[in-house]
Amino acid sequence: MLGLFKKKDRRLGSSSKRQYDIPLNKNDGADFLVLLIALMTFLAVLAMSGSFALSSMTKRWSSGLENKLTIEIPAEKSDGSLRSSEQIKGFTDKVLKSLEGNPGIKSAVMLEKDDIQELISPWLGDDMVLDDIPLPGLVSVELHVSTPEVLTGLAKDMALINDNIRIDTHETWLLSLLRVTGALQYSASFITLIIALTTIIAVAGGVRARMAIHREDVELLHLMGASDGYITKQFQRHALILAIKGALAGTIAGIIILLIINGVSGDAEGGMLPDMNLNAVHIVALIALPGFACLIAALASRFTVLRVLSAMP
Amino acid sequence: MIRFEHVGLRYGVGPEVLSDIDFTLEPGSFHFLTGPSGAGKTSLMRLMYLGRKPTRGLITMFGKSINQMEREQLASIRQRIGVVFQEFRLLPHLSAFDNVALPLRIIGRPEKEVQNNVDELLEWVGLGDYKRALPPTLSGGQQQRVAIARAVIARPKLLLADEPTGNLDDEIGVRLMNLFDQLNRMGTTIVVATHSQHIMDQFGHPRLALSEGGLKVEEKKHWIQKKIEGVF
Repeated sequence: MLGLFKKKDRRLGSSSKRQYDIPLNKNDGADFLVLLIALMTFLAVLAMSGSFALSSMTKRWSSGLENKLTIEIPAEKSDGSLRSSEQIKGFTDKVLKSLEGNPGIKSAVMLEKDDIQELISPWLGDDMVLDDIPLPGLVSVELHVSTPEVLTGLAKDMALINDNIRIDTHETWLLSLLRVTGALQYSASFITLIIALTTIIAVAGGVRARMAIHREDVELLHLMGASDGYITKQFQRHALILAIKGALAGTIAGIIILLIINGVSGDAEGGMLPDMNLNAVHIVALIALPGFACLIAALASRFTVLRVLSAMP
Repeated sequence: MIRFEHVGLRYGVGPEVLSDIDFTLEPGSFHFLTGPSGAGKTSLMRLMYLGRKPTRGLITMFGKSINQMEREQLASIRQRIGVVFQEFRLLPHLSAFDNVALPLRIIGRPEKEVQNNVDELLEWVGLGDYKRALPPTLSGGQQQRVAIARAVIARPKLLLADEPTGNLDDEIGVRLMNLFDQLNRMGTTIVVATHSQHIMDQFGHPRLALSEGGLKVEEKKHWIQKKIEGVF
């Protein structure tokens, strides 16, 4: 494929069988620009897919906990003494009964020992004997709609049963996590932006260097009546071909690394790590990335050449 | 065709190399541009082929003031001017054929027409066997002929030549001047900057004489009189 590009790069256009008027394809600097664009695209693939994975994870957390809360009957009383399992069971039943009569409640399920064991087994192991540990009573509740009025009413009902009962709307820790993932997402987007800017600066610098090397040739074409568009087209086409080479190489390398990361993270347990299962929009965005890199390179070269030409009489 | 009115040119903050240049070239005229070294011949040529803008004064070309022209219009004016540069300015990576073909390609002529016209002209200037040769492999005289062929290939309305016979032997030089004469008879306005008294005497066209930054137009009668008086 690269051979094909090299052959094409020797020519001004697919319909034309002649060389560039300016010997753009005869400079060693071209390889450096290809490498730079490849690296930038590679980093952009990683940054973008990281951002996408965080976005998916945030959505998963938010939607999984929407309209859900947990009512906890603590194993420990206000004075520090422990409740017996019978006392906890008694309070749990009262809570369930209270919830049954509440029109705002969609469902309420008491978590059995097995459920609790499943929840804590990643940290304490499967062999743990729960009888030895004072466990709280937990009721998983799903609301029809989570409004402040419903939550206030629920809190009052629970206080009537026992003022030690806690309602966990998951808001506190979820908000913290969402803040962290949001910051990471913004960082990833910012990094992508920096990469795009760096690419623009690198391409513009490369084009400027080439224009300086071939200044006399460019000036001659200008004096012979070549329009700015005629001259710009040659630089733009050359930059585009280099960008296609670099962006494809960078994207392929990035996708390989993503597949490796996905393979490794797929084996990890816990479910807290972001997975790399990207949706269709994300995949389309990643596929479009080399195209975007090429567009940036072409536009950067175009505007750089036009700017330099504008200084000519 | 060309009118210069009170044109001055200076490079940077230096003194004016051309001061109050006033002249008019009618369409179809043929002039020699002459003057001692450093008189500003190349600078004047540069102004005529729109390689520089004057620092003052008004230049009118093809009936339009260049001072008020857009960039695209300037490009279109340049396409009507053929230039033979003193130092040839051939593109070294392009063959003799592609160098000569450049002006036609710039104005977007079909490739078949380019092939036919360039082949014919290269034969005419005696470089039919050197079409694929790169300029660095050609002698000075051959390079100059390529430069001349490139300047005339698109049948320019105005042809500017800076010392075009400098690297040519007498025979080729005279042949080249005959080509210029032929183009002139076909309506091309021609300005040839030269030091060659022999060429100027032989072809006898009016002269634009530069000295100390100023310019005098010497009609044929005038310089014949000077010659008789022994000024030359």
